[in-house]
Amino acid sequence: MSLLIIQILAASMLLATPLLLAAIGELVVEKSGVINLGVEGMMLIGGLAGFIALYQLQTSICTLELDGVCFASDNSVNQLQYIGALLIAALVGAATAAVFGFLTQHFRANHIAAGLGLTVLGAGLSNSLGGNFFGVDYTAAIVAKVPALFPASWTAVPVLGPLVFGQNLLVPFSFVMLVAVWFFLSHTRAGLVVRAVGENHHSAYALGYPVILVRMLTIMFGGAMAGLAGAFIVIAQIAPKWTEGITVGKGWLALALILFATWRPGRVLLGAYIFGIVLALEPRLKAIFSNMSLELSYFLTALPYIVPVVVLVLISRNPVMIRRNAPASLGQAFEPRS
Amino acid sequence: MIRLVPRSHFGVWSTVFPLLIALGLTVVVGFVVLLAMSEQPLSDIWTLLTYPWQARTASVQWGFVLQKTSYLAVIAVGLSIGFRANVWNIGAEGQFAFGSIAAFAGYLLCGMPDTVWFLPVMLAFGVAGGVLWALIPAALRVIANTNELLTSLMLVYVAANVLNYVTTGPWKGDPKAGQAESDPIHQSLQIVSIIERTDLHWGVVISGGAIVALALVVLFTIFGYSLRVAQNTPRAQRFAGFSPNMTIWLSFIISGAMAGLAGAIYLSAETGKLIQSENYLNGLGFTAIVIAFLGRLHPFGIVAAAFLISYVNVGATYVQSASGVDDAVADLVQVTALFAVLGTAFLSRYRVVFGAQAILGERTA
Repeated sequence: MSLLIIQILAASMLLATPLLLAAIGELVVEKSGVINLGVEGMMLIGGLAGFIALYQLQTSICTLELDGVCFASDNSVNQLQYIGALLIAALVGAATAAVFGFLTQHFRANHIAAGLGLTVLGAGLSNSLGGNFFGVDYTAAIVAKVPALFPASWTAVPVLGPLVFGQNLLVPFSFVMLVAVWFFLSHTRAGLVVRAVGENHHSAYALGYPVILVRMLTIMFGGAMAGLAGAFIVIAQIAPKWTEGITVGKGWLALALILFATWRPGRVLLGAYIFGIVLALEPRLKAIFSNMSLELSYFLTALPYIVPVVVLVLISRNPVMIRRNAPASLGQAFEPRS
Repeated sequence: MIRLVPRSHFGVWSTVFPLLIALGLTVVVGFVVLLAMSEQPLSDIWTLLTYPWQARTASVQWGFVLQKTSYLAVIAVGLSIGFRANVWNIGAEGQFAFGSIAAFAGYLLCGMPDTVWFLPVMLAFGVAGGVLWALIPAALRVIANTNELLTSLMLVYVAANVLNYVTTGPWKGDPKAGQAESDPIHQSLQIVSIIERTDLHWGVVISGGAIVALALVVLFTIFGYSLRVAQNTPRAQRFAGFSPNMTIWLSFIISGAMAGLAGAIYLSAETGKLIQSENYLNGLGFTAIVIAFLGRLHPFGIVAAAFLISYVNVGATYVQSASGVDDAVADLVQVTALFAVLGTAFLSRYRVVFGAQAILGERTA
């Protein structure tokens, strides 16, 4: 039984990490007064970029070659190649977010319209590019598994093995980023500027802070984190293959997390792991009720989307709590007064 | 120096001018994309733009364009009602699915009638299904103050799983089929084509009627006026005696009804049966969001945008299969069009002033 609990915990860490990464990024974006609903789109594009990068970077040795065409190959990936792919995913995510930033900050487009557009179009674009990107069909491509950080003998250690040593590089990274963002927002001068811009952009502008520049930077940071989250889902969770619409709404879960957390980093962590446990329970509940018919199992598949709705309803019933922490200028277009 | 000066006069020109710029930008970017991707860009561009005219099966192509236009426009016009009033229903895909499910349920409940006269009842069941599914986020918003944007989106995934449940469980049809699907509805209830062997069917006419009716409501009734007030000056809405909660209810009911109608028509005209969600839902409800914004939330604009996007899609699909250009072209054109329209919208509120006038300010402008 305790083995099952450890399995669930290890799996929920794996599943919570992309939510946490994307939510940390979006938290900073919203703290600066911008609401970017394009998280899902940026995750899809970043995920595809990470997959393509890893496919190109991985060491591939052909084991079966006929007439110059390779039929079977031995692929392997080391940590350095993995980090390279993650960097590319983050850069592509930031570039995608920059488009949103230009539209909303420089061309004063509606945040919600631009964000929704980014999501819908990111989904369409990643589907068509994944099917044929410069002549390669990535739905048929296979990448090697990313190795664990620690040697295999360490992973065999009970409890600590699967929970700590067996985890992917990005799991500890997500914790580091959470602490870093918390420290940045609440204990640094630059973080104070970000919050000032988010609370009242006119006052911040009058004090001489570059409102648009600050927001562009936070938007691009959010995009980079969403790109990382997408790449993590593709490379570490669902590997070795890429499929269309691979994030299945995780970007929206990240947005729901911000509301759940009422813009506080500590509660983002709590929420991410609650959602992570629900996501991890779903296949295991199916295994426990293995005699359950296929059609009923679809209700378990819907569980990770029903739970956030219930959680949001419970949290939203107290409007004071939401208003107390919400950035006052959230979602408002900034038009400098002259 | 470039400066933006708020417009004091709003006319037809201030609306049309940004759209012309957006259209120009889209055409330029589309050209560049095709130049980069294609080996014979000029002939490909020509084919893409004229394919529905010159194809040997022109009526088939036009049927396809109009059919796609009708689905996108009917959902998008419904969504635009809420979007105007800052009520964000982005779960039209789920309401579309539930419309199909409800239409099929109505068909079974009434004992599988085999007369075409039952079709309006079946469509009404579809509308009711879409409304029912849309009422969940509306109720959560009004009662529990829950963000309707996120809940309506989450319910898309739930609806997709309900569709999977009914097609693998209670309504499972032929077990030898390669996919989970229900038995087909009776032949007489499957909407027929207006022109033989094309996709131009009577469902397109029904959608068109719904769009016209809704456009009249938005443009010429007190309710439509109240929505426009809510859009432009949210506080005035309250003073004028329009309740924000009523706006939320009506926005969701109307958008759910339109998506549900589209779902019922889709069931009757395209597939004739329910199929597992991966093979049944193809993102119409999500594309419609983009169409709504492309049309600047105006009924005429939405129909025009839906038509243009469907037209380009048909051409792009052909060019892709004929000369091996990525089908990403159509998506890239959509991306560019949306971002160009959103990015130039500010031109309807501001004038761009260049040179010395910009520095000296409005006194000289």
